[in-house]
Amino acid sequence: MIGDLYQTALRYGTTYEESSTDGVRPRPHWEPLIHSLDQLGTEELRRRWALAERSIRENGITYNMYGDPLGVNRPWKTDVVPLLLLEEEWKFIEAGIIQRAELLSRLLEDLYGDQNLLKNGHFPAALLYGNPSFLRPLVGVPVPKHSHLHMLAVDLARSPDGKWWVLADRTQAPSGSGYALENRTIVSDLLPELFRESNVKRLAPFFRAQREALIAMAPRENPRIVLYTPGPHNETYFEHSFLAKYLQFTLVVGSDMTVRDRRLYLKTVSGLEQVDVILRRVDDGFCDPLELRGDSLLGVPGLVEAIVAGNVTVANALGSGLIESAAIMPFLPGLSRHLLGEELKLPSVATWWCGQDRALDWVLNHLDSVVVKPAFPSRGMEPVFGSELPEAKKAELIERVRAFPHEYVAQEQVTLSTAPVWEDDRLNPRSIVLRTFVLNTPNGWIALPGGLVRVSEADGTVVSMQRGGHSKDAWVLSNDPVDTFSMLRPVNEPLELRRASHIVPSGVADNTFWLGRYVERAENIARILRCLVPKVRHGEVSELGGLMSLHSSLGSSKSKLRKTKLAATTFALFEKELLSMLTDIKRWDSLPSTLAEVGRIGGNVRERLSADLTLLIGQLRTAMDAEPGVPLAEYSGMLTGCLELLSAFSGMERENLIRGSGWLFMSIGRRLERAIYMTRQLRVITRPLSAENWDYLAYLLDVADSSVTYRTRYYTTLQPIAVIDVLMMDETNPRSLAFQIEHLVELYEKLPRHDTGDLKTMVNALNRLRSLDLQAMLYPAQDKLGRRNAALGRLDRLLADFEQLLPSWSNNLSSRYFSHARTLPITMGQ
Amino acid sequence: MLYKINHRTTYRYVSPVSVGSHVACLKPRSYEQNQVVQNSLKIFPEPKTLDERIDYFGNALWFFTIEEPHKELIVESFSEVLRTGDRVPDARASLPWEESTLLLREDHTPEGLDAYQYQFESPRIRIANDFAAYALESFTPGRMMLDALTELTSRIHKDFRFDSRVTTVRTTPEEVFKKRGGVCQDFAHVQIACLRSIKLAARYVSGYLRTYPPAGRPRLIGADASHAWISTYCRGAGWIDMDPTNDIAPTDGHVTLAWGRDYGDVSPLRGLILGGGSHDLQVEVDMEPIDVLPRIAF
Repeated sequence: MIGDLYQTALRYGTTYEESSTDGVRPRPHWEPLIHSLDQLGTEELRRRWALAERSIRENGITYNMYGDPLGVNRPWKTDVVPLLLLEEEWKFIEAGIIQRAELLSRLLEDLYGDQNLLKNGHFPAALLYGNPSFLRPLVGVPVPKHSHLHMLAVDLARSPDGKWWVLADRTQAPSGSGYALENRTIVSDLLPELFRESNVKRLAPFFRAQREALIAMAPRENPRIVLYTPGPHNETYFEHSFLAKYLQFTLVVGSDMTVRDRRLYLKTVSGLEQVDVILRRVDDGFCDPLELRGDSLLGVPGLVEAIVAGNVTVANALGSGLIESAAIMPFLPGLSRHLLGEELKLPSVATWWCGQDRALDWVLNHLDSVVVKPAFPSRGMEPVFGSELPEAKKAELIERVRAFPHEYVAQEQVTLSTAPVWEDDRLNPRSIVLRTFVLNTPNGWIALPGGLVRVSEADGTVVSMQRGGHSKDAWVLSNDPVDTFSMLRPVNEPLELRRASHIVPSGVADNTFWLGRYVERAENIARILRCLVPKVRHGEVSELGGLMSLHSSLGSSKSKLRKTKLAATTFALFEKELLSMLTDIKRWDSLPSTLAEVGRIGGNVRERLSADLTLLIGQLRTAMDAEPGVPLAEYSGMLTGCLELLSAFSGMERENLIRGSGWLFMSIGRRLERAIYMTRQLRVITRPLSAENWDYLAYLLDVADSSVTYRTRYYTTLQPIAVIDVLMMDETNPRSLAFQIEHLVELYEKLPRHDTGDLKTMVNALNRLRSLDLQAMLYPAQDKLGRRNAALGRLDRLLADFEQLLPSWSNNLSSRYFSHARTLPITMGQ
Repeated sequence: MLYKINHRTTYRYVSPVSVGSHVACLKPRSYEQNQVVQNSLKIFPEPKTLDERIDYFGNALWFFTIEEPHKELIVESFSEVLRTGDRVPDARASLPWEESTLLLREDHTPEGLDAYQYQFESPRIRIANDFAAYALESFTPGRMMLDALTELTSRIHKDFRFDSRVTTVRTTPEEVFKKRGGVCQDFAHVQIACLRSIKLAARYVSGYLRTYPPAGRPRLIGADASHAWISTYCRGAGWIDMDPTNDIAPTDGHVTLAWGRDYGDVSPLRGLILGGGSHDLQVEVDMEPIDVLPRIAF
């Protein structure tokens, strides 16, 4: 049966294959899965897989790889086939990782406390003193219960004899639990029938326990909890924003926070809000540039002080990275007996710390069978496979290890087990590592049933997400029906009613403001391009002036477009310029780079947006993707598609968003951007417009979606003053300048602690617009005697004033609400 | 000798600083040969919070934050310290130097553990073969510890030029080693790197050095400077100080402020500010010897 799917024989006769003993028949607990994959058939699997991949892309599930040509935001890779674990086996693993968590937790407590383990020789002092992750300012600082090691991740591998071994412990800021949850969502959607029937242990209770454990750590009632991320460029940023949303915590970066009077605060648009608990995803050394690494740009100066004063709890506690070192592994069996009075249940992979003379000798004599690694991961040395080293390099390595032995560990090369991965319409066996998670709660340790399975690249034996591997879901098959709890609150739980509960960190307000501006900018560019593309392709010489005027209203400073003597040459140049605006991602003002910016900023505030909005942003980001060399004509349809997405965005923004500060900033951004575009477009008329460019008026009405309005009022007569009335003065036209200014006044007034001066500036601007008397103005620009039309000159000056005023007003808004989120502290005296 | 020491640091900023968080390591350590009679700290503007904490190395650190906008920060520390010359090293210091390296690893006594931590790399001082090779020219097999240490100190003094123009506060010991020049901080870092590279425990000492006016001239107020030297753990004799900048074993002209693994642990004043633009720094140290019989309480 399994043979239908397995096209290749098992690569390693000596490895443990998770799904089968002989590569022909599945193990009994894999039978239903293999059977149902067979039943679905290749076609159906392919179809479901395509849907899943689309949802991964559109939901923006990503993993950032450093040094990847695709750059940040690489789509997450998962597999349709979960790893299946029987409940009995899982119970064994669970007991092992929980024991390990308890042991590591006690080890941390001792090393940051009385250090009895050093005094009685149970732990080598060199592993403490030589470890750059030993954070001395945290020694002796009392840590609330359960926070030292709030969460532990343990990487497990299965050896050929079927036994599980610990490859590594992640104690610093373990990642992966969020990806595990995403994988579960994706795979249970792919195989819904099988999932329902398989009694798979659910993940949600683990996350609820995590939320409750963090709340229990807080020093006060109704605590504010934040998830502290290094920011969007971090490899697992997607997970940070996903977990923040799922656990209902505020996602923050260091510059969103400040310490005042030994308390930690979140900077929000309405002022400072005290923070009680930090769920930390920033490496501890980077968390406070005052007392820890002075070169950190991610930290909060004074955080250690706030911790010492007992005003904030950090989980995992600062300093927990200390025991992420593989060098501690050889000491764990002894420590387990000493601290727990128990034998270690799950063995670590054979590890030698070269700081011990006997281990050093052994390692140097058996270099070919081990992997040499830095004892302290922060040293950043890549693992070296002894067997792959040329002799000269080997001698070099031996010399280095001999000179500073305590800096190195050696580990046995592990033959990983394999599990089937579905690709190219068949199942291929791939090496896997299972990352498991344990949580410290007031009710004891809890393990996430299953975990995140990481899969090696084809033919690879090194398993690392950072090297571009896949992932898998892991199903623990329960013998009994499972608890189908979800994160929703139980209906009978008392709940406090709240309005406007959303506090908006200044950094988030900054991003939503710019999201509004960039979405509007994209719309303006797309509208202008959509108007230009067909007309330039079928260009009539008589239209050229108007089209060039419209192009100039893009305000594109990089354009090399100029009028040549030969109209045909000009049109050719024009087509080239349009193509560049449509495709050139390197041009900051092109449509794709504007959309990329929408995607980037949207990604920064992902946890604040609804799933639908996130989806739209994902679609927008790729809306203009085309093969190179696509002719100009084909872009018309794409532009229309892009504009549809943009209108969907506007619709959602208007109809679905809570009218809180976040929405206010987004709307202000949008109004401001539209006002800036409209001002520029109107100035083309008042500068003034020459007769040969007259068509511009029609194009402009088209771009501003106001042709119909204009025609019902003025029929076909195109008059600049009438166009100006529709697009500038008419407060009932949602595209007019007056409409934007009126709304800016209204929106700005609603902002908490707004500046009365800035409000007045906008009110005055509105009054100036309203007091204009267009009837009194004449066009053309000069009378028959060649005198300049004074009224038109006044109008042009007014627009010129607006061109100054709008950006400077935007700057004032930024410095009032966002600037403190952007100011980085400066280190001095070091 | 009794000293009155006034250490004043002034920062002037081009634009106002809205918040400043600072750490000052300006309270002298008190021990047998370095007794602090009194000490006080003045900060302008008045800080919103001021805490004293003892760090992992036993130094007193002051943490303070200023939360009002300011264009000038003045931190002034006054101390009276009674300094007696270091003990003449015990004859037992003259054990072969290797004794001080090997046994420390097995020594779990509080003193042994405390010393052991200074044998490792620290943020500003990495160990390397070049340093080891330089040190081993003096630390020949079986040579008496004190003998070798004194010679290494002299060699650094001779081989390295005192020149404040070639290094900054951030220059690494590797660069200093190549340039063969620097200031007291650099001399100390290089010697510590040499000692740690051959597995000896060595620490960085920050303090003050008495200067002598030219004959017949009055003492210039504020002309003294903060200084740095090193201390090495010698089995049997304890910690022995050496001043590679002046090629001497510190006597009663040196006053100890603090010690740590390197400059970063004990920099006199560091901090983080919001705003400020560029700044201008002025440090004045005045060390006045009081020529009276020391007031010693028995």
